[in-house]
Amino acid sequence: MSPLETFIQQLINGLVIGMIYALIALGYTMVYGIIQLINFAHGEIFITGAFIGLAVFGALPGALGLGNLWALVLMFALAMAGCGLLGVLIERVAYRPLRKSPRLACLITAIGVSFILQNVLMLIWGPVDKSFPVFFKHSALTFGAFRVTFMQSFIVISSLVMMLVLHFFIRRTMLGKALRAASEDMTAARLMGINVERIISVCFLIGSALGGAGGLMYGMYYNTITFHDGYLAGIKAFTAAVLGGIGNVPGAMLGGVALGMMEGLGAGYLSSEWKNVFAFLILIILLLRWPSGILGKFRHE
Amino acid sequence: MRKKILIVICCLLSALSLGAKQTGVIKIGCVGPITGDQASLGLDQLHALQIAVDEVNAKGEIIPGCRLEVVSLDDQHNPSQAVAMAKRLAADPDVVAVIGHMNSSCSLAAAPIYQNARMAEISPSSSNPEISRKGYDTFFRTCATDDIQAPQAAYFAFKQLKAQKVFVIDDKTTYGKGIADEFKKEILRLGSSVLGHQGIMQGEKDFTPLLTKIKALAPDLIFFGGMYPEGALLLRQARSLGLIAQWLGGDGIYVSAFIDLAKEDAEGVYCTFIGADVSSLASAKNYLETYNSRFGRQHIGPYSAYAYDAANIIIEAIRKAAKKDRQAVLAQVRATKDFPGVVGLTNFDEKGDSTIGFIGVFRVKNSAFEYVGPAKQ
Amino acid sequence: MNRRGIGLYQATKKIPRRAVNVFILLILFALPLFDRNQYHLEVLVSAGIFAILVLGLNVMTGYCGLLNLGYAAFFAAGAYTYAILNVRFGWSFWVSLPACIISAGAFGLAFGSCALRLKGDYLAVVTLGFGEITRIALNNMDSLTGGPNGLTVAHPALWLPHKRLAFGINSLPYYYLTLLAILVTVIIVSRLSSSRFGRAWIAIKEDEVAAACLGIHTGKLKLLAFCIGSALAGFAGWLFAGKQGFVSPESFDFITSIMLTAMLVFGGMGSIPGAIVAALALTIIPEVLRPLQQYRMFFFGTVMIVMMLFRPQGLFGGVRIFEEFRPESERIRQEEDEALGEDLRQ
Repeated sequence: MSPLETFIQQLINGLVIGMIYALIALGYTMVYGIIQLINFAHGEIFITGAFIGLAVFGALPGALGLGNLWALVLMFALAMAGCGLLGVLIERVAYRPLRKSPRLACLITAIGVSFILQNVLMLIWGPVDKSFPVFFKHSALTFGAFRVTFMQSFIVISSLVMMLVLHFFIRRTMLGKALRAASEDMTAARLMGINVERIISVCFLIGSALGGAGGLMYGMYYNTITFHDGYLAGIKAFTAAVLGGIGNVPGAMLGGVALGMMEGLGAGYLSSEWKNVFAFLILIILLLRWPSGILGKFRHE
Repeated sequence: MRKKILIVICCLLSALSLGAKQTGVIKIGCVGPITGDQASLGLDQLHALQIAVDEVNAKGEIIPGCRLEVVSLDDQHNPSQAVAMAKRLAADPDVVAVIGHMNSSCSLAAAPIYQNARMAEISPSSSNPEISRKGYDTFFRTCATDDIQAPQAAYFAFKQLKAQKVFVIDDKTTYGKGIADEFKKEILRLGSSVLGHQGIMQGEKDFTPLLTKIKALAPDLIFFGGMYPEGALLLRQARSLGLIAQWLGGDGIYVSAFIDLAKEDAEGVYCTFIGADVSSLASAKNYLETYNSRFGRQHIGPYSAYAYDAANIIIEAIRKAAKKDRQAVLAQVRATKDFPGVVGLTNFDEKGDSTIGFIGVFRVKNSAFEYVGPAKQ
Repeated sequence: MNRRGIGLYQATKKIPRRAVNVFILLILFALPLFDRNQYHLEVLVSAGIFAILVLGLNVMTGYCGLLNLGYAAFFAAGAYTYAILNVRFGWSFWVSLPACIISAGAFGLAFGSCALRLKGDYLAVVTLGFGEITRIALNNMDSLTGGPNGLTVAHPALWLPHKRLAFGINSLPYYYLTLLAILVTVIIVSRLSSSRFGRAWIAIKEDEVAAACLGIHTGKLKLLAFCIGSALAGFAGWLFAGKQGFVSPESFDFITSIMLTAMLVFGGMGSIPGAIVAALALTIIPEVLRPLQQYRMFFFGTVMIVMMLFRPQGLFGGVRIFEEFRPESERIRQEEDEALGEDLRQ
């Protein structure tokens, strides 16, 4: 393997994990953009998506005699729906009653929710790593010495599609317009007759559904999931969201990919035991240069 | 305001001291992480102890007027919690001995408390050699220390697998790093070259950057010091990148869950384990069946067999001591001789380490571990 | 706040504040006479160390509004300073104290002088990153920190005339030491809060631009709050390392930082009794829930949510509202009103 090929392979590795970070980061950023809340339970929602997918795969397709493709579609549909509803439910129970309270109060309920979800996942699926079904084996496209597996291209393409749909939704639809208005100025939006509570629910629905899809892809890519996987992925994705400029949707996508590639290159060329140090060090340096994230707009507090 | 503080503090303190004293029970403590990211290990240990205790209780009272009971505590693999839990066990006069702690760092932190309480502590998994060298006479372990297993694994890699260019990976834990360091030392001494030694973070999922780098170096053997979840992930990602080196691991991957997670990629992977083929022993077969029927939903963990042996050694010691007395039970544990356990005949040396020095090698074939032979012939 | 509540509050006001404080202290000092259970004392010592940490975090976050999600890093700085000085250079526990406080404070100063140009959640994520970096560095720098194996350090000892009194693993001496340390911390923090700095910090927290307009040097004061907060964490770290006799990176992870922030919010931002009671509560509640085994975290999470839903401002968060009803501030207000009237007449 020539050094150039190794380098390209490292970039591809980083891009794939970066895409998953980006999908999770969207959930953080959408919620933050509208109610300035760091939804610490989002990491747990994300991994719940993978577990729902696993349950669907275990229960349904065999009984219905469906092929792999349909099983996949069904898994995505149910994981996204399940996580979306979970997100809305969490918002209702743990965040909405605290809308007028100090901002950090929600942080505590978010941590509480995340403890509960983690515990429930452990009680249902057990504490041991669960094996996740393989969809594409190791079949890959080989270019010279580097290879892109089908799974990797699947993740990149489907995340791109989801992000484009989201972008279209926010830019072109009435609901998206209302969402932008509410995140710009909630009081003004309310005066314009926008049902802000509903918009917040929609935000949680979409963000959590995307997180659930990310979780499912995560499970399919690594073929191993555990109840506590949401924690580390959640911190990374949150970092990615801030890196891109929290509250900014394209920023979350950029931040995710940038974070994935940075830690990939750091781990590949310097030292893998310092992998997360590179990610956070570069985050600190970038934030000192752009104090509101790469694409974030400067906002007076 | 101040009154509120008083009331809150009083309530909490009284809640803390709840719990009635019981007579007619002898308790065995069980400490390990039963919540959090290493919950599977801790629960595995707890299940092993429960099986052993239930077997005894099914036959009646262990000594006249006393039944056995398990006290399970969670140390969250945090040494500071481990100290608090050790003190809790030491303060309960019904507890005569302890199984645990699982993590070497926790055992190291808690050992002085058991020493002070004159309470035998048998760890099924704390394999760091350091612990038993501190001179505690209450510490025992049924697993082998890292400096016994790893050199033999290196010998096997050099002699049988003919490994010339080796890459070593560990998970930066007391166990993983310990075994990887010892392996590296020995294989360098034997004359192979080590292309590199890198750590990964436990709980991390994506190792492709490291493996891409390793692929460019083209080693003929990769040694992994760590547990099966990371081991399986590393292996699958290596194969998907087209890295086709031979693979050798320690007892941390000698679990059926490893094969389950690594799927078809597990074929041909070697690992070492203390003792010979466990499933061929009659006592072990019985244990594996009981475990599967009771906790079948979960896979049996790598240290389950050691935990079961530890539990039975303590039960045997209680039976021989024939009284609810820590000192007497400790003396009996110390006097253990040729205890017929699941992993073989267990004896403790003067430091409290298990003397089973036999290291067997296994290979995955048709989705099962197949006994290859002793590591050192 | 309803009328009856105010009445009740006014009634409790009749008991002198100082008397209640002394009474609580007496109870705490006498507690080991009634309960000699090592486990209970150990839990209380852990809670006490957390209380010092929360008080330190209170200076940063509660007074000055600097959200810090990597506070465990400064805790680690103190603990590891003692561990390294003890293991490598043989320094004793007591001698190491200034070094621990200074090193953690300097750590905070160095990091703060870079990071404090960031605000709000950006600052929070940078501190989070810093906390993770510190923990990984402690785990990876084997030659200095012992890596994952940690470092075994000496327990403190006292030299009485004719006799050396080693603390060892008995929780009792640590109980009194921690109580003393909390007392010192409370005095420092309460003096600070009522000082010029304390008022400036609160002004910065409420509105930084307005504070700057009033001539408060916001940059320097924020750095000062950060530095004092880290130094207090170093103090707690020193105590922790001595009590534990052992330090390893597991004790300083992200969850620790998060739990400390949770305790601060739970007790009520900016409240000293709140910080202490929350540290006690959130250390003891999980212990009380132990019989629930694996279900424990489920109930702990539920308790956290329910408590926040009923008291979003935290247990003692209402203090500022109560202040308004206080006779002395009533008097001050009257005086001010009169002075204002005077001015207007002229």
